[in-house]
Amino acid sequence: MTAARRIATEVKSYHGFIKFLIALVTVGAVASLLRFIFGLGATTNLNDTYPWGLWISFDVVTAVPLAAGAFTLGAIVHCFHIKKLEPLVRPAIVTGFLGYSLVSIGLLLDLGQPQRGWHVFRYWNVHSPMFEVSMCVMAYTTVLFLEFLSPVAERFGWHLPLRVLRWLEMPLVVAAAAISTLHQSTLGTFFLIAVDKLHNLWYNPLLPLLFWVSAICSGMSIIILEASACHKWMGQPNEGVLLRTLAKILPWTLGLYIALRVFSLVALSDGPFFDRPGLTISFALEMGIGFILPFFMFAQKSVRDDDRRRSIAAGLVIFGLVLNRFNVSMFGMMDPDKIYYPSLIESLVTIGIIAGHVLFFVLIARYFPIFEHHPETVDYTIPDPLRKVGGASPSLSSAD
Amino acid sequence: MSTLDTTKNHAFLIDMTKCTGCRGCQVACKQWNQLEAEKTVFFSGEGYQNPPAMSEYTYTRIKFRDYQKNGQNEFAFYKEMCMHCNDPACASVCPVGAFKKTAEGPVVYDDKRCIGCRFCMIACPFGVPKYEWSKGLPLVKKCTGCHDRVREGMKPACATACPTAITYGPRAAMIQAAERRLARYPDRYIHKVYGKEEAGGTSVIYLTSLPFDELGFKKVTMRALPSFTWQALRLVPGIFLTVGGGLSALSWINHRRDRIKALREADETGTETAEPKEEQQ
Amino acid sequence: MTNHWIDIQHADVILCIGSNPAENHPISFKYVEKAMDAGGKLISVDPRYTRTSSKADTYAQLRPGTDIAFIGGMINYILQNDLIHRDYVVNYTNASFLISDAYAFNDGIFSGYDAETFHYENDSWAYQLGKDGLPLRDNTLQHPASVYQLLKNHYRRYTPEKVCEITGTAIQDYMEVTRTFCATGRPDRVATIMYAMGTTQHTYGTQNVRSYAMLQLLLGNIGMAGGGINALRGEANVQGSTDYAILYHILPGYLKSPTFDNVSLAAYNEKWTPKTSDPRSANWWANTPKYMASLLKAYWGDAATAENSFCYDYLPKRSGNYSFLKLMERLQQGGFEGLVCMGTNPIVGGPDASAIAKGLDKLQWMVAADLWETETSVFWKRPGVDPKTIDTEVFLLPAASSVEKEGSISNSGRWAQWRYKAVEPPGDAESDAFIVDGLIKNLKALYAEGGTFPAPIVDLDWNYGDGHEPDIAMVARECNGQFTRDTEIKGKLYKKGEQVPSFAFLQDDGATTSGNWLYCGSYTEAGNMMQRRGQEDPTGMGSYHNWSWCWPVNRRVLYNRASVDLNGRPWNPKKPVIAWNALTRKWEGDVPDGGWAPMSEDGSKHPFIMIAEGHGRLFAAGLADGPMPEHYEPMESPVANSMTGQQCNPAVAIPGNIDNSGRYPYIGTTYRVSEHWQAGAMTRNLPWLVELVPEMFVEISEELAKWKGIANGEMVTISSPRGAIEAKALITARIKPLRVGGKMIEQVGLPWHFGFNGLATGGSANVLTTAVGCANTSIPEYKAFLCNLEKGGIKA
Repeated sequence: MTAARRIATEVKSYHGFIKFLIALVTVGAVASLLRFIFGLGATTNLNDTYPWGLWISFDVVTAVPLAAGAFTLGAIVHCFHIKKLEPLVRPAIVTGFLGYSLVSIGLLLDLGQPQRGWHVFRYWNVHSPMFEVSMCVMAYTTVLFLEFLSPVAERFGWHLPLRVLRWLEMPLVVAAAAISTLHQSTLGTFFLIAVDKLHNLWYNPLLPLLFWVSAICSGMSIIILEASACHKWMGQPNEGVLLRTLAKILPWTLGLYIALRVFSLVALSDGPFFDRPGLTISFALEMGIGFILPFFMFAQKSVRDDDRRRSIAAGLVIFGLVLNRFNVSMFGMMDPDKIYYPSLIESLVTIGIIAGHVLFFVLIARYFPIFEHHPETVDYTIPDPLRKVGGASPSLSSAD
Repeated sequence: MSTLDTTKNHAFLIDMTKCTGCRGCQVACKQWNQLEAEKTVFFSGEGYQNPPAMSEYTYTRIKFRDYQKNGQNEFAFYKEMCMHCNDPACASVCPVGAFKKTAEGPVVYDDKRCIGCRFCMIACPFGVPKYEWSKGLPLVKKCTGCHDRVREGMKPACATACPTAITYGPRAAMIQAAERRLARYPDRYIHKVYGKEEAGGTSVIYLTSLPFDELGFKKVTMRALPSFTWQALRLVPGIFLTVGGGLSALSWINHRRDRIKALREADETGTETAEPKEEQQ
Repeated sequence: MTNHWIDIQHADVILCIGSNPAENHPISFKYVEKAMDAGGKLISVDPRYTRTSSKADTYAQLRPGTDIAFIGGMINYILQNDLIHRDYVVNYTNASFLISDAYAFNDGIFSGYDAETFHYENDSWAYQLGKDGLPLRDNTLQHPASVYQLLKNHYRRYTPEKVCEITGTAIQDYMEVTRTFCATGRPDRVATIMYAMGTTQHTYGTQNVRSYAMLQLLLGNIGMAGGGINALRGEANVQGSTDYAILYHILPGYLKSPTFDNVSLAAYNEKWTPKTSDPRSANWWANTPKYMASLLKAYWGDAATAENSFCYDYLPKRSGNYSFLKLMERLQQGGFEGLVCMGTNPIVGGPDASAIAKGLDKLQWMVAADLWETETSVFWKRPGVDPKTIDTEVFLLPAASSVEKEGSISNSGRWAQWRYKAVEPPGDAESDAFIVDGLIKNLKALYAEGGTFPAPIVDLDWNYGDGHEPDIAMVARECNGQFTRDTEIKGKLYKKGEQVPSFAFLQDDGATTSGNWLYCGSYTEAGNMMQRRGQEDPTGMGSYHNWSWCWPVNRRVLYNRASVDLNGRPWNPKKPVIAWNALTRKWEGDVPDGGWAPMSEDGSKHPFIMIAEGHGRLFAAGLADGPMPEHYEPMESPVANSMTGQQCNPAVAIPGNIDNSGRYPYIGTTYRVSEHWQAGAMTRNLPWLVELVPEMFVEISEELAKWKGIANGEMVTISSPRGAIEAKALITARIKPLRVGGKMIEQVGLPWHFGFNGLATGGSANVLTTAVGCANTSIPEYKAFLCNLEKGGIKA
């Protein structure tokens, strides 16, 4: 059989949902092509009042924290040494890698002159939050790529790269966490400049900190949701025990977020707060349903231990995160007399990107050893060339 | 024609009490920058104002106000334009440093660097930068402060065309002139020099006889906007080192603990390898 | 202007009435603002709250056409409260002169009126003369026949209440204006009046201006720095055009054009040269024969000799009123074979524009010389007309703009500023000089072969070089004038061909030529004075005597001998125009309006040198509609004249197509905007200006909008007995209904710049106006008519 025929047969065997995703991605790709042929002005509803729209709000400001599971989990497992959560790491890394790659695509689509994207390497402005985020995202995507190379190398049996990657694993995890802290928070720094534009309900000097904490919350929630979904729809084992442990961390991070938020509103912001009814509702939904309710839910063991309710609570956190990011980057700066809504092409592209994320996750999971990683098979020792700590160490297992 | 001292930061002093709304400035700007005329209709706001907003084709615009206050007619004008801030938000947020505050005063844009991220449009508190939505490879468009003229000792086009309201000169002198006018004609003006401290100080300063918000001026922070992001960004190296160092330390401690524990277990079970395996990496 | 633009900065009070300088002369407004910065007060009197009003200290609403009532009330206020500048009034005006006992004024009509012919005989308006031929005077101003007392009596009826009843002004605004302005009778306070078409475009426009002159004479503001009456001319070079007599009733330099009964040069000079018995009256128009002779010599050169009265017989003699209104009338009667329109667009700019358009249809040929295809030049393409029904042959000559040719432009302040050619005209466009030169040369060639009375054309002295177009410098030199032969004047010899130094040297015997005596001195042996750009201002009064050249003889402020007392000391030493230096026995400052010694000395002359009696006329017998301004209603008016029983100007025939029945309930007025120019060809074809004001609009009050249910920007139809147009409604608080005689009367305002051709098109406001004009000048009454306004556009 020719390669093409093999691919065709393979694709035909996919589940209908996967085929649907492929269709969505194709439509999104066509929409992107139109954006390049006809230009931003003709294909989006962006204008001088709303230079940033759906693509920045979702594809950058929201998608980045949604992909935060990778660094969060990496730090939890490898730095805080909660080893039992190891099986969740690889899927998180794939989610992260896909997420950040798609962020980059979204960004390139949104840039007015994407062919000049490389200018950030040539012309540096260290005062610019966007410069910082660009550099960090590029660095982190590289880190994620390197982390993602492990299952790839395992799949294709590339032993030397595998060893190099294993040796790099710790530095990469630390780098991932440090870089992510920077850019997750700097996404919030972006909006510090909109001092007279962003509504008082969201504008305060703690925005960077709040963005970082909420990213951690959403990272873990995504992992909960994604692991549950993989169990439900991809036949993977129920990692409920692991998720329970992960869920224990959430009330702390959610609680911290709520405390910081309240503090920032009470002590660091000037009113008026409730002068815009639409924004008041959005704020109530975001805080109430998106953070406070899941906080109470995750605080209860019964929720944490129950697969379904745990997933619901995680879903609420995601809802809160998405709404928060949209509130800060779009709704909170909206002029009530002249509102913005995305055009068809903008919407199709974003939908295509989301569909692409799910699609490629499923495909990667299908063809690469994402779920076959278990703690007992992993050698956690740091290579010790200095032999400061003597003695034998368990032998390295090779995953073949 | 007087020549300007190009070693000094220059500013516009725009006295709206002297402006007759003739829009000679609007047309002079179009002529100097060879900007297209927009297709307009009546009415886009109060009075005869047109076009409806600044855009890629319109770098400055007179906004009209035509209303009654306490039974008195008010027919007033406001020239909107780039404020050429001393510490511009646009320059600070642009990732490729495409904006620059020049020594002569104008904040200029290098269209060769721009990647089109449009952060400048979000950042500017005055809503000045506009985008070439009509083009396939769009650039940001805004008032250039006629930097090319100012560098040669000439005044900007709008200042040259205006017969009454616009004065142009070293910023300190313009502020002094504004304050002298406030002192000399206390009943004529609202006692505020707009632009003296707005956004940390701009190179376009205004005097008015009507309250600024009635004329359409935006209420803007008195701090330079870059300071808002810099207060977070300056922590970047520190955070990187703290998080990185902290996590490194943490993992080293934890790994060491594990290794000690493993050694202890090996001791207890009796199996041990005297040498560490060379091949493990 | 009696003064000039820069001089306005010296005013303590500036009255803008019938004008909107911030709108239409924005650069001049710089000087208004300078005056205000020095403590001056700006008063804006206008039917609408305009751009000028927005800067004014005081705004007073005025019903269109009621200026005389407004000013009359101010005159009354001055006289009742004795606010005149007494020494000035007694010595420099005809206030003390006694008027004939036959003079009378009854219920709106002056003595000497013939209702059949709408004509006044002015014998009863004459001065009482003494045996010496000089007017009898009473310097105490008490004599009942004195002009002063007649004035007082005439304007006694103009009480503030009566005035405001007529003008619709709020009485507190009116009193504020009156008090502020009328306080300038003091020698150390001066006021200026800036006026324009809002004043002149009425059936009594001349009397409107007269009322300003009277006001200023009573307050002693004429001849003073920061004073005078100052017409803001409506075009860049309309001052030049009237100086050069592009008006039917004058010759260059405002010489009278000869009428059919001036059968000879002697008869002409006899009729039109004023005479006086007063040795102290300079009576400058007594020089008429010199200026006329010099003009004729300029026209016909060597063919003009003393024997043939300098070819006086070649001059066309008119037999009536050939004003624009009359031309358009005759046009509509099919009275013209052809029409040459040079830089004019009557189908947009003329009153009752639809009728003018129908008149154009009757032409056999038309020549239009213009920068763009004006509506007039494509009149056959106008909406609603089938071009196949029109037989006119039309020639469009593309013309060069002012930056594409060299020459002078005379501004409102009489400064003739030389302009250079900055760029070549595009395509085939040519200067007006080229066009006229071509016409004349071809006519000369044709007439040389024969024709009816060829001599005036064939003998025309026409030599402006051999270039592509006339050498403008040669034209300018000719306008200044040269000596035709060696001439000795006051011991100095002037050689043949030399430029005449000033009009004082012009001769009546053919020794000199001068294309325009007023401009004599503009191009001397020293060169083209109009080209000068000296920026020195040693007096500090903003005179800039070395910047270009103004007429007459570079005198910046006219009648400046009235700015000093009888001893030659300035009334206001802080703002001196001229001052007598007793040591050097010379005047310092501006060019004095006559170099004679002050009036306290022998051999001196009265300040108002252009008037036969040398005194400023508070009472002026020489006008067609009365020696003193009297309030009349416009031809179309919503109210009856509440001052007298005479509804309209008795010296103007009532036109046919008006309707005062009430069917057209709103007062209509027309005006201009900063962004567009005249009939619009020059601005409605420029994208940057079209961007600013893209569409025709009508300004209506919020009350009228509410009444008619009209939203801002909605299309409405405005109609009058002459026709109808559509326009977008601009609802604004700047135009308000007027309370007149107890009723609220709405007014609507229309810019008149639009027409059917060009980048931006729209309805022409002049479709609505009436073809009736001023009793003296025939300028149409564009500023006041009646109309109706309804929601919705014109259904095609």
